Amino acid sequence: MNTEEVPQLKKMLREQGYIDDGSIAMSLFLAMKLEKPLLIEGPAGVGKTEIAKVMAKSMTKDLIRLQCYEGLDSTHALYEWNYQHQLLFLKMQEQKEQDLAALEATIFSEKFLLKRPVLQAILKEDKSVLLIDEVDRADEEFESFLLEVLSDWQVTIPEIGTIQAKSKPQIILTGNRTRELSEALRRRCLYLWIDYPDFEKELAIVRSKVPEADAKLGEQICAFMRELREMKLEKTPGISETIDWARALASLHLTHLDKQIVEDTLGVVLKDWQDMRHTQDALSELFEKTGVTSRIG
Amino acid sequence: MSNTLVKRPTELSSNIVLLCRFLRTKGFPVTATEEADALRAMTYLPIQKEIYFKRALKAVLTKNRHQQSVFDDLYVEFRQQLSRATDAKLKDVEERRPQQSDSQKRQAQFESLKDWLNLHPSEEEKEVSSFSGIEVLTKKDFVDLSEEEMHLMMRLLQKMARRMAHQKSRLRIRSKKRNRLDLKKTIRDSMRNGGSIQELHFSKRKDKKLKVVLLCDVSRSMDLYSRFLVHLIYAFQNAYDKIETFVFSTALHRVSPLLDNHAFDQAFDMISDRVPQWSGGTTIGSCLHDFTRDYGYGMLDKKTIVLILSDGWDTGDAAQMKKAMKHLYKKSKKVIWLNPLAGNPDFEPEALGMKTALPFIDVLASAHNFESLKEVLYQFRKKRNLLKTQLN
Repeated sequence: MNTEEVPQLKKMLREQGYIDDGSIAMSLFLAMKLEKPLLIEGPAGVGKTEIAKVMAKSMTKDLIRLQCYEGLDSTHALYEWNYQHQLLFLKMQEQKEQDLAALEATIFSEKFLLKRPVLQAILKEDKSVLLIDEVDRADEEFESFLLEVLSDWQVTIPEIGTIQAKSKPQIILTGNRTRELSEALRRRCLYLWIDYPDFEKELAIVRSKVPEADAKLGEQICAFMRELREMKLEKTPGISETIDWARALASLHLTHLDKQIVEDTLGVVLKDWQDMRHTQDALSELFEKTGVTSRIG
Repeated sequence: MSNTLVKRPTELSSNIVLLCRFLRTKGFPVTATEEADALRAMTYLPIQKEIYFKRALKAVLTKNRHQQSVFDDLYVEFRQQLSRATDAKLKDVEERRPQQSDSQKRQAQFESLKDWLNLHPSEEEKEVSSFSGIEVLTKKDFVDLSEEEMHLMMRLLQKMARRMAHQKSRLRIRSKKRNRLDLKKTIRDSMRNGGSIQELHFSKRKDKKLKVVLLCDVSRSMDLYSRFLVHLIYAFQNAYDKIETFVFSTALHRVSPLLDNHAFDQAFDMISDRVPQWSGGTTIGSCLHDFTRDYGYGMLDKKTIVLILSDGWDTGDAAQMKKAMKHLYKKSKKVIWLNPLAGNPDFEPEALGMKTALPFIDVLASAHNFESLKEVLYQFRKKRNLLKTQLN
């Protein structure tokens, strides 16, 4: 038992520019110690994917990423036989007299196996970080494919047999809650919900990610974003939008917000035209709430 | 560091087990695996810091967002119950006499604590837990629902309607997924290479999309149900890709374009602006006739379900009504009539309009609560029963 480990991890995250309120570091720590996958859910743009990247970087491990989409199946996630290659091989062998059993064994050997991300991750000698991004976009069947890997660290290929993990990868799954994930999947993971950050946390994030931004500007941006998230928008902006905006404004060498600038750069933050219109209508009110005085002249 | 664990091993681990049991009574799916994980997690942590302790347990024992949000409160509650229990125990041993009532109260609290730790929920709790909120809601009449419950209900309905909308056809089309080999195409393709198969083609069943025409009565006699209608129309509009929605009282109005492009509240403001007879009288017959004449050709076919929402109180011409209904019946897959009055057990289709229409309706249903609507949605899938069975 070590009193230092959690704060250390927190420091590591901070060094990579990831600001955390304690629960994230704890979840990561336990996921590593208990060797369990970590399932992260939360609204878009709060840094779910970033966690995996930061983790891989701070542990100097390889990051293997599997982006999920509707229709993703085991041939794209686990493994696939290189069918064309197998055929050509057979053609080449036709002239030679060969033992059939031996031939079959060669065809279904690792040589003709295309390794997809999940298999790649467990076959690495060195521990790696496997990011399964937006797992809720894949079909429910795909979740079932994952179960074997998540709990037993193995992949079963009928023609070869079961392949055990050479090293247990650190698996991180992320989701946007577009679909409820199955209980079976949840059971095998540790769970972490990340919400929009509060003002202080967001400010800290902006400061660490966009150090060139003026201090006052940063505060105003965060206050503005906080009010913006209170509004009923189609697509509520996340932290990544805040950072983009801060970067954009900093590169324009601005030191404070005013109405004209916000109107001109709103496209960085909002990605839906109805949201844009609503926000433009409510801009004066928003400014009043955030305490920004629009300087005229 | 490990000394601390050894010093009070039983207490710490038994408290964790108690917490797990406590959470189980609160509906957390804490299995032996989670308990073991929690105990293992403790061995990696400095337990002097309670914040770590709590966070670690939170990370291990919660499995979804809701649980994560209520965990902190439950943890506090557990701590309180626990300290109260130990207090009571101490008091009990040291002094029995003073303040009978107080110690009795404590005793009772302790008993109740013991009860739920042993997983004996009180009668009250049992009753509460056996009825999940949704279950009660589905049987409640729509008129009695609050605005929020209505929203919840309609979201459920929408989900179901969407599921029902996608049936599988028997036709097969190309697929990227490796479900079933399309031998025909695979072999045909291989001809180009002199018969050696180089690429495998796969097929899947084609999606059969349901077409729905929704005709909704918004006359005064339907006023009581208008709130429900509004929600229902909107839920349906967003569940089906191919849906046309009309509202009628004395004239027919096509509203699907409005519903498609606008948010809920906006859309309905616009519709009530444009439909001047909202909450006026009804001439169902002529409205249905208008529909068959003006839109019938494009919108009606044997894949289309016609859904009529009306109470059947008609001030128009019965002959016209009959003609229109006959046309609808012949040209569609199914005609379903939702009559909110039919929820009443004494309901008889007495209204003249209703009576005239009855022979041309496949399903007459009440749709006064969620259960009955669900029944109607199941009817969407089935073929027309030529022997005619009627719900309710």
